[in-house]
Amino acid sequence: MPTDDPQARRITLAGHVQGVGFRPFVYRLAVELGLRGWVKNVTGRVEIHAEGDSANLDAFARGLIAQAPPLALPRLLGNEVAKPSGLDDFRILESSASAEADIHLPTDNFVCPQCLAEMQDPGNRRYRYAFTNCTQCGPRYTLIRALPYDRANTAMAGFPLCPACRAEYEDPMDRRFHAEPIACPVCGPHLEYVEAGSAPTGDDEAALAAAVAALKAGRIVAVKGIGGYHLMCDARREAAVQALRARKPRPAKPLAVMFPDLDSLARQVSLPPGAASLIASPARPIVLLPKGKTSDLAPGIAPGLAEIGCLLAYSPLHHLLLRDLGGPLVATSGNISGEPVLTDNAEATVRLARIADAFLHHDRPIVRPADDAVYRPIVQCPRPVRLGRGTAPLELELPRPLAEPVLALGSHMKNTLCLAWNDRAVLSPHVGELDSERSLATLAQVAEDLQRIYQVRARRLLLDRHPGYGYRRWARDSGLPLREIWHHHAHASALAWEFPGVTDWIVFAWDGVGLGEDGGLWGGEAFVGGPGRWQRRASLRPFRLPGADSTGRAPWRSAAALLWETGEAAPFAPELLFQAWQRGINAPASSAAGRLFDAAAALTGVCSQASFEGEGPMRLEAIAESSSSPWRRGSSLIGLGSRLRGSDVPPLPLSRDESGLWRSDWAPLVAMLGDTTLTQAERAYRFHASLALALVDQAERLREEAGCHEVGLTGGVFQNRLLTELALAMLEQAGFRVHLPARVPVNDAGVSFGQVLEFLALQQ
Amino acid sequence: MNDSRILLAHGNGGRFMRELIADVFARHLSNPVLDTDADAVHLPGLEGEIMVTVDGFTVQPLEFPGGNLGSLAVHGVVNDLAVAGAEPRYFTLSAIIEEGLEVAVLDRLIASFAAAARENGVAVAAGDTKVVRHGEGGGLYLSVAGIGVRRARAPLSMQGIQAGDAVLVSGPIGDHGIAVMLAREQFGLSGDLASDSASVLPLARAVWDLPGLRFLRDPTRGGLATVAHEIAHASGHAVVLEQARVPVRDTVQSVCEMLGYDPYYLACEGRIVAVAAPRTAQQVLAAWQDLPGGSEAAVIGRIEAGRPQLILETELGGRRILEELEDDPLPRIC
Repeated sequence: MPTDDPQARRITLAGHVQGVGFRPFVYRLAVELGLRGWVKNVTGRVEIHAEGDSANLDAFARGLIAQAPPLALPRLLGNEVAKPSGLDDFRILESSASAEADIHLPTDNFVCPQCLAEMQDPGNRRYRYAFTNCTQCGPRYTLIRALPYDRANTAMAGFPLCPACRAEYEDPMDRRFHAEPIACPVCGPHLEYVEAGSAPTGDDEAALAAAVAALKAGRIVAVKGIGGYHLMCDARREAAVQALRARKPRPAKPLAVMFPDLDSLARQVSLPPGAASLIASPARPIVLLPKGKTSDLAPGIAPGLAEIGCLLAYSPLHHLLLRDLGGPLVATSGNISGEPVLTDNAEATVRLARIADAFLHHDRPIVRPADDAVYRPIVQCPRPVRLGRGTAPLELELPRPLAEPVLALGSHMKNTLCLAWNDRAVLSPHVGELDSERSLATLAQVAEDLQRIYQVRARRLLLDRHPGYGYRRWARDSGLPLREIWHHHAHASALAWEFPGVTDWIVFAWDGVGLGEDGGLWGGEAFVGGPGRWQRRASLRPFRLPGADSTGRAPWRSAAALLWETGEAAPFAPELLFQAWQRGINAPASSAAGRLFDAAAALTGVCSQASFEGEGPMRLEAIAESSSSPWRRGSSLIGLGSRLRGSDVPPLPLSRDESGLWRSDWAPLVAMLGDTTLTQAERAYRFHASLALALVDQAERLREEAGCHEVGLTGGVFQNRLLTELALAMLEQAGFRVHLPARVPVNDAGVSFGQVLEFLALQQ
Repeated sequence: MNDSRILLAHGNGGRFMRELIADVFARHLSNPVLDTDADAVHLPGLEGEIMVTVDGFTVQPLEFPGGNLGSLAVHGVVNDLAVAGAEPRYFTLSAIIEEGLEVAVLDRLIASFAAAARENGVAVAAGDTKVVRHGEGGGLYLSVAGIGVRRARAPLSMQGIQAGDAVLVSGPIGDHGIAVMLAREQFGLSGDLASDSASVLPLARAVWDLPGLRFLRDPTRGGLATVAHEIAHASGHAVVLEQARVPVRDTVQSVCEMLGYDPYYLACEGRIVAVAAPRTAQQVLAAWQDLPGGSEAAVIGRIEAGRPQLILETELGGRRILEELEDDPLPRIC
């Protein structure tokens, strides 16, 4: 190729190309290939002008995608011939002022392999330094105070760069070029180990050694991480796990376990296909994985369940701790139950005092909390249960632009927020249950931060129709116009967004309790239509919940309700409660599938009093999975529908009620669930199968009526893998196409995004 | 006539009405000021700052363990004056009676009213009766105006409340709400729980003049939580209650747990909530604990700088928001 005949290209890229070292990467690639020109950020995209010979320009264009930094996910928007302007070098130009629509707030990521290698190299100046990071890794969302993303606008503002770090920061050839949180032992944050009643330790090594010694001795250490504190203890010591459970108190809720690497993880749990890449991804979420056969993890980690929430060490500090300890650690959120994870050293010290034996603090502030994200593999694909550190803020695209910016406040439980404007939506990390002061304070902070950082002011708030959700007063005080969205419409619209090719739906929205259009407490509903035009066409037979809200933690109450509704006695329930239920005192009617699962958990004797939300259904599913029911025939789901229909699985009668709504009657389940001649596992399995059959029956009726064969499953109940996989197999065998969400949580964490989509559809 | 029932004729201004007033109301309530023939009366002996309050009373059932509508009405009005720093002196009484009410019941209720008024040094100065048709009233409604004279030296108002102040309650909460509910629903429960319906005048008197006392209120409908919300809104600060310190009887607690109620929202009819400077709080506590109605008094929380809201500190260190009472709270667990 003649080099004296320079050509030029104008290349435009989009994707996560800001805040991930993309421009320095472009610079290095261009310099390697001897190209001249420039690169700059323009309104959320990267624009490149490159001059050189055509072979090198082609190699450059390929390399921009193929060799891009792992976090960047670039998309080529344009690659056009341009006029050469005879430049003599390659430069990174200052960013053009970016318009509001194109701001991107990066998420927090793991420590990358290069940084980890430096930490393990005794000759490196960051040897065993717990705050090592570069443009390819480390915290972002939890330390950014404002944009533009410069060090002065982050939690690192108080750590002036030393000359060595500054040199890296200013060198375009260095992978720490403009890595805003970079630090080293000379200029960066440090660790501090504090044990009740003794003086804080001296340096980082002493702090680490003390923490590891405490963990080895079976003690509980509160460790400050990226998005908040973890409560940690040795995952192989049952006594330590039980002490943690007793003090938190958290008698049964499963605890997450952090492993040093994939090998040690694979020795304790089985890794289904697809799970390994997710668990090792830069987001490093918790993934629920089946317990292994030879695990030496403490049995108290997930009692009564078949899975363990696993994650890999993600921050440099975690790597040091786990390596020095030489084994897995329990890593559960350092919080008070239902509240966002604690982030502030002083507040954590006070509020975790009765739980933790010691604290491993550091002095890099955490600007806002981010809990670990959680995924569960269902139907071949890990699906989000909770968005959090590494996965949120989740930036999503709307099908059409909004007329005005809105902030959706989501649900009361598993609250998340969603800020949306133009054709963009940003879904926040998990905030928590809105019963606590700290949850509401976090909601207010995240609402404010998202609007400030994205430079968008919501002109309207979207909220659930339920008048008692914890954000109601905050919403009223905002002075903004409010728009209420029905709970299950939001669920259905969030699901529909993931499948833009489908226009007419049958959506099953099964969850706990959400306020329905008739003022009832819904949660076992089937809708036909699409966003903005959902019509409820099928439901479950309603039953009255004795003690209203208290039913959520007391599966025995739902069990009593089913017995009483069918004229049976419930000897385990107090007479006073029965009398109050008969008179309708604090006993509202509900069609919630979640409460039916609770009832089944209690009637089978699997769980009558829950120590955490969803304990009954989770344990019921786990025990059902262990069933050797003859209809299961191994794991084959082929012909399942006809097999189950001819079996002892009770079919649920389906008929229209006086308003024309199809209702499945759960009554035949009551006798089966209490039939002690069957094993618990068998009863639990038949219950799942029976509900899946009822769902298919409803879908078939609605297909006859509405002529539609696209089925969606949403709502927290479909976090139940057994139910979901049974329903899916039978629906597909009956000729339906079935859709499950994979990007946005199926539970109430997806409600805020769904509110935006439902609002958008209603605006048309 | 004690074995008969109230007729519409008892309200028609004729003989039946005259006899009813004479045999029931005048017989129990007579005192030198009350003149059933006069249209208006003079109230003698009122000197100083006159305070007035009015309240209407309805309860089902009319008689419940620990009290009845008659004593409840007296306590309600006496308590409103007492927490405002006034000694109650005179009442007016307006009775709306439902056709068909047993005269014997009416007689017991008015006798109870009269006894409670006497115990608190109050004279009924004026009265009125009306009869409404069967089905148009809950047996008996009483409307009572109370007139008193202020004795507390400094005015007691929520405006004086400051961050750091302590919050106290004079006894266990929710007794009235649960006792009346159990009686109303005629649950087959023969528990020992009685309403707390009582005069708080002695408790109020004992603390009126303590320097550093900011505010007194009797929690009635809506319970402790509702008073705390009023304090939060008026003072602009957060009210923090410590769950472990709020006195709740075991029976009330277990009925609440069973039926899914929160005791903080249940009615009391004989308790005072006080807000006082921290040092004064100990004096209030000591004064109350020395009195018969205050032996279970406790410091239950504090005023915290911050946004006006009610926070319940749980025994596990959680800080739960207690919302203002909604019309009809719906379950929200999803």
